[in-house]
Amino acid sequence: MKVVGARIPRYDGTAHVTGRTTYVDDVRVPGTLWTKALRSPHHHAAITKLDTSKAEAMEGVHAVITWKDVPLLEYGHLAALGIPADEPLLAKDEVRYLGQPIALVAAENEDLAAEAVSRIEVGFEERPALFDVRQAFDAEAPEIHHEGNWYKHFEEEMDRRQIRKGDIKWAFDNADTIVQGVYRPAAIEHAPIETQVCQVVPEANGRLTIYSCTQALYFSMGVVAAHLQVPLNKLKVVGGTTGGGFGGKVDTATETMCSLLAMKSGRPVKWRWTREEEFLCSSTRAPWHMEIADAVTKDGWILGRKMLTLHDSGAYSRFSPYGLTKHSFHHTGAYTIPNLEFDGYVVYTNRTPTTAMRGFGVTSVSFAVETHMSRIADVLGLDPIEIRLKNANRIGDTSPNGIVYTDPSTVLTIQTMAETTGHELPADYRTMTSEPRSGDLLPEHLVAQLGNPEEH
Amino acid sequence: MNLTVNGVTHEIDSSPLTPLLDVLREELGITGAKAGCHQGGCGACTVLIDGEPRRSCLMPVGYADGGEIMTVEGLGTLDDLSPIQQAFIHHYAAQCGFCTSGMLLAGQAYIDHGGTDDEEAIQNALAGHVCRCTGYSKIIDAVAATARGDSFDLTETAVGKHTTMATGGAE
Amino acid sequence: MAKHRGKGIAAIEYPTGMNQNGDPSQAWIKVKPDGRVDVFAGTADIGNGSKTIQTQIVAETIGVPYDWVTYDNSNTDSSPMCTGTFASRATFVAGMAALKAAQEVKVKLLEIAGKELEIDPSDLEIIDGEVIAKGAPQTKMSVADVAGAATFGHGELITGTGAQLKPYSTIIDSESGAVDLPPHSAISYASCAAEIEVDDETGQVRILRLQQCYDVGRAINPTQVEGQIEGGAMMGLGLGVLENCYPYYPGVEHRGGMFGSYLAPGMEDMPQIDTIMIENPSADGPYGAKGIGEMANNPQPPAIAAAVHDAIGVWITELPITPERVLRALEAKEAGTSEPRRKGKLVVFDEELSVNAVSSGGMRFEVPA
Repeated sequence: MKVVGARIPRYDGTAHVTGRTTYVDDVRVPGTLWTKALRSPHHHAAITKLDTSKAEAMEGVHAVITWKDVPLLEYGHLAALGIPADEPLLAKDEVRYLGQPIALVAAENEDLAAEAVSRIEVGFEERPALFDVRQAFDAEAPEIHHEGNWYKHFEEEMDRRQIRKGDIKWAFDNADTIVQGVYRPAAIEHAPIETQVCQVVPEANGRLTIYSCTQALYFSMGVVAAHLQVPLNKLKVVGGTTGGGFGGKVDTATETMCSLLAMKSGRPVKWRWTREEEFLCSSTRAPWHMEIADAVTKDGWILGRKMLTLHDSGAYSRFSPYGLTKHSFHHTGAYTIPNLEFDGYVVYTNRTPTTAMRGFGVTSVSFAVETHMSRIADVLGLDPIEIRLKNANRIGDTSPNGIVYTDPSTVLTIQTMAETTGHELPADYRTMTSEPRSGDLLPEHLVAQLGNPEEH
Repeated sequence: MNLTVNGVTHEIDSSPLTPLLDVLREELGITGAKAGCHQGGCGACTVLIDGEPRRSCLMPVGYADGGEIMTVEGLGTLDDLSPIQQAFIHHYAAQCGFCTSGMLLAGQAYIDHGGTDDEEAIQNALAGHVCRCTGYSKIIDAVAATARGDSFDLTETAVGKHTTMATGGAE
Repeated sequence: MAKHRGKGIAAIEYPTGMNQNGDPSQAWIKVKPDGRVDVFAGTADIGNGSKTIQTQIVAETIGVPYDWVTYDNSNTDSSPMCTGTFASRATFVAGMAALKAAQEVKVKLLEIAGKELEIDPSDLEIIDGEVIAKGAPQTKMSVADVAGAATFGHGELITGTGAQLKPYSTIIDSESGAVDLPPHSAISYASCAAEIEVDDETGQVRILRLQQCYDVGRAINPTQVEGQIEGGAMMGLGLGVLENCYPYYPGVEHRGGMFGSYLAPGMEDMPQIDTIMIENPSADGPYGAKGIGEMANNPQPPAIAAAVHDAIGVWITELPITPERVLRALEAKEAGTSEPRRKGKLVVFDEELSVNAVSSGGMRFEVPA
């Protein structure tokens, strides 16, 4: 009996339909405390005062934590990729986004925890906030990140992600038409039906059992270990069953915060985000600002592309440099464009830090370049399917940063879609393949970019 | 007060204003109904009270006094899955599973009230339930199939009604 | 006061695995005395169905029935490392780790069976839980008996370990972006045709139909792939016409804090979704599989934007394409202000959105003249 390729029912299907699947919020440990957070009410402010004594003094409150309780306050989740830490687990001297966590309370029940949060005395001095990535580079823009308003640690400390290929000037000089457009997809929420939730149990042998909804058990374990400065075997992450993630349950800080509360109180601690917190305080998909200028010929060849991307990272870096890099590697979409000038910036704004979401980095560029392709077809009066087939990646073509395509199926998927939608293609387009370019499909301007697929 | 859940009567300590969802999950340890939003907006907390779908997150438990509550646990068990549960398995109507108990109960109520396999009617009946994983398509298929009285092969999932498989690449 | 129909298309590509690689996944397997197989992996199942996929891969690779395999990804004490469930890596990268572990188990089972049957292991195969001599099917032994013999006869524990890691692909030239290795495990491809209807009085855009073609390499579980495609389609629809954390972006006012004010797609937003799955196998993925989870929500927004232009002759390049944006675009079209600026070769759209219109000089976008 063949198993791969078979329509086997879900491994956990019966558990799902009988309500027996255990999510983090279903775990029951006697003596568990509930958690509430003090969050910044301001987009950008200095913290002038933080006094948790009245909260700590409350009956039924077992632990309050602030930045002082964190052994390593700032840890870069992608430090291994060279992205330096820039974000405190809990705010220390300032807050940079509305909703930023400042202090956490663990108490006997949710109401008590919320009451204790309201008794934390905190003072702020508001600062001007920056929300528009297009203005972040201006001299008069408020400086909202200690390293300036955009990330400056790409390779060799470059302040942008850069792709260069061929001769962009040649492309624009030789174009018949130059089509320019601006593309701005919005920040959206992951909005899984299960909100962010974590429960940490301090064990008798000094270990911490962390029940987590993380999409990445070992990744989250590493983050906790780094902040707490403990070896991995002090922690046991229990999970593997998440009620939806879509990229929003990777840069989670709940595990670390609950661990600190559990250690301080000696009791199991649980933090379940409200849906409001999930919508207003959880990291989002990034908004992107992309400007494209394509040098095109009247018969539909894209000779060159100049592109500027401003990636709205929100208040801190998180995964943004990684996402922008991925974006840059794919900024030609499914097409072969031989001359490229791409510049992308990770820009800070005073909004909730943005993070990975389904398609991270490429969803944005797909929207921009595909809409732009449709526009080009319209401007030139060409068939939108034919222009795509002509420029589509073929075996031996190279990507923006020089990787050789060995087996692209752009031609196949487009032809299939044309057939499905009843779009009649001329014979020469109907019979196109992904085989290496030759003849009419290999104009002079595409020769230099060719690579050897055997060498990959 | 007393609360009858899935045919069993429990004596409740929580105050009458406590949301029914919290009583079920925290006091009684019946965790099938989920806390998706506590705002009445997602449907994951749905239970049936006297056969009617209700948002347990918004309902003070005192309001349910005297009513027959059914949670997903009352629909069927591993050894005795109800048709709609079988349908959800066969049609792959659950991915992460978090919205599933609400969908099942709302679907069951729809069928119990005479609902047919009309897709628009099913969409209408389940409109207030949010799912982020499935795109709803297979949930509708599962409810429709149950309404039709289909029987379900639990060893294999169904081909999507608008799916074609093709093989491409080098011939 | 009319409804206008329009069609638009998009063709996309998407990488499998973390960008620039360096993201390991590991699995280990042990076989019980009755031949049943226990898989331990650190891959979280977030609804994508990775538990099922990895179990299928293990069952197929060893040659035992699917229900002989149990899967445990529940904790970091017993499961080895997996970087995580993101970057469309669960089937390819984590699946390959499980496959490699299963291959090791198979080798060991055949070794023991070879000793028991006194046949060279290379002349044996495993089909449906039985070790069978190639070409002599009457000579066989159940995997259950092999495992029993291993445990009680040979004093052996049958295990397998698998680790999948594509080495980190370093950027070797920061000016061009060149890398020393392909920065992905595979690339998947898709196309989408959207059919929509725009109401020119309310501005509402309704998606009527999405016809989508996905090359997934190999559908390990075709129904689960459909689930990703259909679920992704609705998420892409949401990005295209409904969802926005900041309705007044870049302003931060009026963020929706509830499902009623944040517009996640509902059942009544469903279009008809037609799915064509193509299997153009990857070179080195498990059974030729490639990733699908993320790209499923990428082609819809541009297909919808093109369809809106087809329907009402306006380009809306800010997402989501809300009724307000549609109505403003129609007003601009009426007023004749929505045409691009043309000068020489230049055809310039969206000037009011450009950084040039908003920045005081810190950032500019200029075409090489």
